[in-house]
This record gives sequence, C-alpha cells and structure tokens, in this order.
Amino acid sequence: MSILLNNRTRLLIQGLGNEGQNQIRRSLDYGTRVVAGVHPGFRGGDTFNHGAHEFPVYPTVVEAVSKTQANCSIIYVPAPGAADAILENIAAEVPLIVCITEGVPVHDMIRVRTALEGSKSRLIGPNCPGIIQPASQCRVGIHPPDVFMAGNVGVVSRSGTLVYEAVDQLTRAGIGQSTCVGVGGDPIIGEQQQAILRRFQSDPDTDAVVLIGEIGGLAEQAAAAYIKRSMTKPVVAFIAGATAPPGRRMGHAGAIIEGEAGTAEAKIKALEEAGAVISRSPAEIGSTMRRVLEEAGKYQAPGAVEQA
Amino acid sequence: MNIHEYQAKQIFKAHGVPVPAGGPVTSEREARDLLKEIGPDVVVKAQVHAGGRGKGRVIKRDRAGRVYNDLIGDGERHEGQIVGRRRGGVRLASGIEEALKELRPMMDKDSRLVSIQTGAEGVPISAVLIEQQSSIAHEYYFSVQVDGANGQPLIIASAEGGQSIEEVNRTNPRAVLRVPVDPVEGFPAFRGRSLANQLGIPTSAIRAAGDMFANLYRVFVDMDASLVEVNPFVLTSEGAILAIDGKVGVDDNAAFRHGGYEEWRDRSQENPVEIEAEEANIGSYIKLDGNIGCVVNGAGLAMATMDTLMLHGGEPANFLDIGTVNRKDRVVEALRIIVNDPDVKTIFINIFGGLARVDIVAEGVVDAVNELKIKQPLVVRLNGSNVEEGRRVLHDSGIAVQTADELGDAAALAVEAAQSGRRRSRSNN
Repeated sequence: MSILLNNRTRLLIQGLGNEGQNQIRRSLDYGTRVVAGVHPGFRGGDTFNHGAHEFPVYPTVVEAVSKTQANCSIIYVPAPGAADAILENIAAEVPLIVCITEGVPVHDMIRVRTALEGSKSRLIGPNCPGIIQPASQCRVGIHPPDVFMAGNVGVVSRSGTLVYEAVDQLTRAGIGQSTCVGVGGDPIIGEQQQAILRRFQSDPDTDAVVLIGEIGGLAEQAAAAYIKRSMTKPVVAFIAGATAPPGRRMGHAGAIIEGEAGTAEAKIKALEEAGAVISRSPAEIGSTMRRVLEEAGKYQAPGAVEQA
Repeated sequence: MNIHEYQAKQIFKAHGVPVPAGGPVTSEREARDLLKEIGPDVVVKAQVHAGGRGKGRVIKRDRAGRVYNDLIGDGERHEGQIVGRRRGGVRLASGIEEALKELRPMMDKDSRLVSIQTGAEGVPISAVLIEQQSSIAHEYYFSVQVDGANGQPLIIASAEGGQSIEEVNRTNPRAVLRVPVDPVEGFPAFRGRSLANQLGIPTSAIRAAGDMFANLYRVFVDMDASLVEVNPFVLTSEGAILAIDGKVGVDDNAAFRHGGYEEWRDRSQENPVEIEAEEANIGSYIKLDGNIGCVVNGAGLAMATMDTLMLHGGEPANFLDIGTVNRKDRVVEALRIIVNDPDVKTIFINIFGGLARVDIVAEGVVDAVNELKIKQPLVVRLNGSNVEEGRRVLHDSGIAVQTADELGDAAALAVEAAQSGRRRSRSNN
C-alpha cells in the first residue's frame, strides 16, 4: 500500500516538447514505467526511445489509454493548452492526472474543477513538481531524483523547490520518504493539502508527515482542521512567507495575503492548535522531524529501510 | 495586474453596466469641454492603482526628489512639511472654476498620490476622471472573484456599501452575502434579481440591479478577471442603479489571449526596477527594504530564503523567483539587476535544481562575476540537478565566492557578510 502511485503505476506522458522529453528520460532512468506518450504530430514518429527504453506515442489520450492501459498521466503541455490537456484526460477517465505546467489561467481551472466534479479522475497540480515515490521508483514530475530516499515520512507542499529543500534535509538526517506530493501553488488546484494528509493518514507506509504551506489562501487552515479532527500521525509543518511584506504577490498566485487569515502567523497558529509541530525556520525541517520521529519511536536508522 | 477605475468603467459601459456621465481628461481644455457637458456638480478623481484615495493626499515631488505637500495653493509650500489642508485624491466641486482648481494639482506631471496603500513615496497620478455627481439614496457593495478553495467564482454583496467590506465583515458579518456561482450556468439576470431582492433593493430597481450584476459577471469572464469590485454601487434618489466606483484585477496568466493586456496596462504605476526585471525576463522580482540581494528559484524557496535570512538577523533587498534556469545569460541578467541596486551589500544565490540545472546556474554566476565586476561579497548555495558539476564549475573558476551546502549555513554566511560590510563602511567614514 502507498498513496497515489505504486509499482503498478503505468505512466502516460502528454507534451513531448524539449522539457517533456528531458523529464521523461529522467523518470525512465529512475525506473518509472512509462507506457505511452501523447503528442499530436510528434516528430519522433510512432515511438519514443531512450536507451533501452521505448514507448509508443499516440495523437490522443483516449487511444493511448485503450492501447496501453495507462492509469496515470503527467502533463508538460505549455500553459495555453494545459487545461485542454487535463480535460482530455478527464474525458478519457485517466484515474490520476498530474499537471506540472505553470501559468494556467485561473478561469481555465474553474472549467477543469467543474469537469472533475463527479468524474473518475483525480488531479494533482497544476504549477507543481508532481509526485515521487522512492520505494516504487516512481517519478511523476520534475524532481531531482538524487536527493530522495525511500522511507516512512510523507511530504506535502504547495511549493516545488521547498519539497526538494525539505527532502534534502530529511535525507541528510537519515529520514527516507514514502511519497512526496507537490499540490501546486495556484489559487485553484486539484487535490489540496488536506486531501493528501487524509491519504497519508491511512497509508501504512507513512509514519509521519511534513506539511509545507505558504502565505495566502485558506488551505493550511483546512489542513489544520483535518489534523485536529482525524490525524493520529505526527505532522511537522513549515509556512513560507512569514517575513513577506503584506499585499505583494510573491510569485505564486496563491501567495497573496488576503486579510489576516492568509498570514503566516494565522496559519502557524491554526496548525499549532491542531497539534502540528512547527518548524519556524525552513532550515530546521529535517532536524525537527528527526526529533519528532525519535520521540514517537518511529525513527528508522539509515540502512534499516529496505531500499527499493 | 490592476487597471484604472476609468478603464474599468469603460469596460463596464461596453458591457451595459450603468456608470455616471463623465470620463478621463488629460488637459484643461478637455476638462472644460467635459465640464460644460456634465457640470456643474462633479467629482474629480485621481487615477492611481491604489485604494484609500479619498483619505489619501495629493503631493508633489520635484525633479530633485524634494516633496511638497499641499499643492492647492491655500497654504504656503514648504519642502517636506505638511502645510495647509490635506487634499485627498477624490474631490467634489461645483462649477467649472472650482473643478479646475481641484483638477490642476492632480494633473501636474510631478504630482503623486499618497495613501495607506502606497507608502510615503506615493504613486504618480496617471489621469484624472471627472464624473457627474449622483444624488445617493443608498450605497451597496458588489464583487465577484475566484474562490480558490471551492474552485468556482464567488459573488460577495452587501447593503452596507461605500466602506471597507472587510470592516463590515468584522462588525456585522450577517450583512455580507456570499453567493457561489455555478460556472456552467454563469450568473444570469434572474439570479441577479434574486440577489437584488436579498439586498433589499426596492422593487422598482430590481430589474436594473439584476441586469447590472449579470453584466458585471460577464466582465469577470470576458476579461479573465481575478476580481471585479464595485464599491459602492448606488440607488439614486431618482431610483436608478449606478456603479459609482469600479475595480478590475486581471489574471496575468491569461495575458496571452488578451494581447498582453497592453491596452490596459500603465507602467507608471509599477516599480521601475520590477519593470526592468520583467523586460530582462528574469522571473518574478519584488523590491524590498534590506541589503541582501537574493537570487532563488521557486516562489516558495524564495520566500523561505527571505525567512531564513531574517531569522539570522539579515534583511533581504528583494524577492526574486528566477524560475527555471536553463540558460546562463538569465543568471547574468538577474545579477545585473541585483548588482545595480545601490542597497545591495551582499548577494545570496540559492538554487535547488529540479527543472533547473545548477551547473548552468554556476556557469552563469561565473560569467556574471567576470562581466559585471561584482564587488559585493557573494554567497552561493547550490543543490539538486547536476549539483556536483555545478560545484566543480564554481570551484574551478577561481572566482571569490563563499559556498555552503545547507540553507541555514548559507544564510548565516550571507548575513555575516552583509553585517561585516556595514561595519567596514562605517569604519571607512
């Protein structure tokens, strides 16, 4: 058992431009099973080759799914076409869709969210680093693979680079990761932190969770409410942007301070009250988790974790 | 991106939303012609991308940067002091001469408006909007925005308009109506009439108000807006419905299908360094008050880097999310802007490569040091994709640079460098 991905994940890549090609090569090298590509008018012909790896490329998602039984899609399509690509995957009933693309218009995402309602699909992203699961060698995203290590801590974050930062600290502290999910920094995304926490709570491979939030929106308050209500596993949380000047947009569209609820202080307070352990400094996420795991008797020394 | 009130009202008008008679003027002659048409009782409104105009102050700053308050002429001009009466950015006037008296200081090319949202510097006044005064029977609030949590548009309305909606929400939350919009249905006029009814708008004006709400929702959709706000819209004593104010924020991500929003953009309202950063295409840059120039990839890591510097007693000079770096000249361009900022005493580069390759970043840093003759201490922290190669590039280049592998250590180095730089400059004096 694990969340979102497992060793039965059959990945479809949509958008085989330069960046998509680079990233899928790295996923193939990591050991991820890529079964199909979708790229209308792909210049490489009918197949994509990388070393000993090869997968067929189709013009449409529905054809790719029917021929290859792909059960997860990764979208690298540029922003103007990204929502269309997500909608195509929803229509083809792909169970898990991960959209990396940054800069998708928010009105497009309103359409996407409406289409997701009552569909057979789940969406992670957009504007996210994707999902990585070291034990099953499954990389559905843009992560630098070297910093990840299999283990028992789940990571969920709105920011991509902060996933890497937190994971690097965890790995240095001898703590491996079960699954790492970047939910995305935009105002409208698929699954939010709260939904991922729920998955981690019922995941036998996960003993504790790192939650990384940032200023703006109310997603961290929703996560705090879930932690308070239902979470028995320890959560270490960091909120980025405590020192950001109010009223300025800091890159992520989600990171606009809207009233007091959007401030780092309000989010930290909500999470603290829910029982999460706060790492005030982003440089202490790893050491804080190490302490929490040791107190819970869940720290597994490196080597004790079976590497996949 | 925000647009001016007069632009919002032009868009409103084109969508059938009733607005007061009037328009923007750029010269006294235009103003006279307009005043003859719509006078004598008018309101004169400074056009800036900031709220709090009415309670703000029109000031003048001369070319040497000296600030004069009270331009209206009923007090003496004293440099740097507030003299005479405060003059806000929204003024009532009766008759052509009185209106021109209010208009002139706002139209001065050196005039600026200071409000609680602008900082002491204020922002330049781009245009002046002159409108007919309305006889107001009641003020209401209406807005439509994106509700991220629910992934749909949200209309907020209140019968207590003309004041801060946040304040109304605090003191009398029951007076604030929230109406989620089904994006498939949109917001047809019948929903608008129902909302008007809930707001207690008189029966005779319900049709007009309902149409206005439906039309404002169309503005929201057509403009790819993140916010359409009318505070207030009013019921006039003649029983008409009128949008007295108007605010529209558009989604920069949708610029590609709106010609870059060039028609609506006003660069005079933006920070010049931020425009330079945009033109150099180096990512998302925001000027701050400190002295440590930051170059970081990813918005979250960029904020976390600022947080770490502050925890170590340092102050960032800027926020910069350089995004995905796959070309070294982008690093050079970013550093050019950082180096040219006179506030910057130390430079801190923190790159964790995922999509971005840190060896390319390292090559860019080396190029920048050689090309820009960087004098400030340089602290570089690299990690992620191709990190070994990146560290080797830095090491082999022989440039003067301090490095650390971990965020906390690197931030401590940067803060130390900034502080010892300050000590040095003090002892030089």
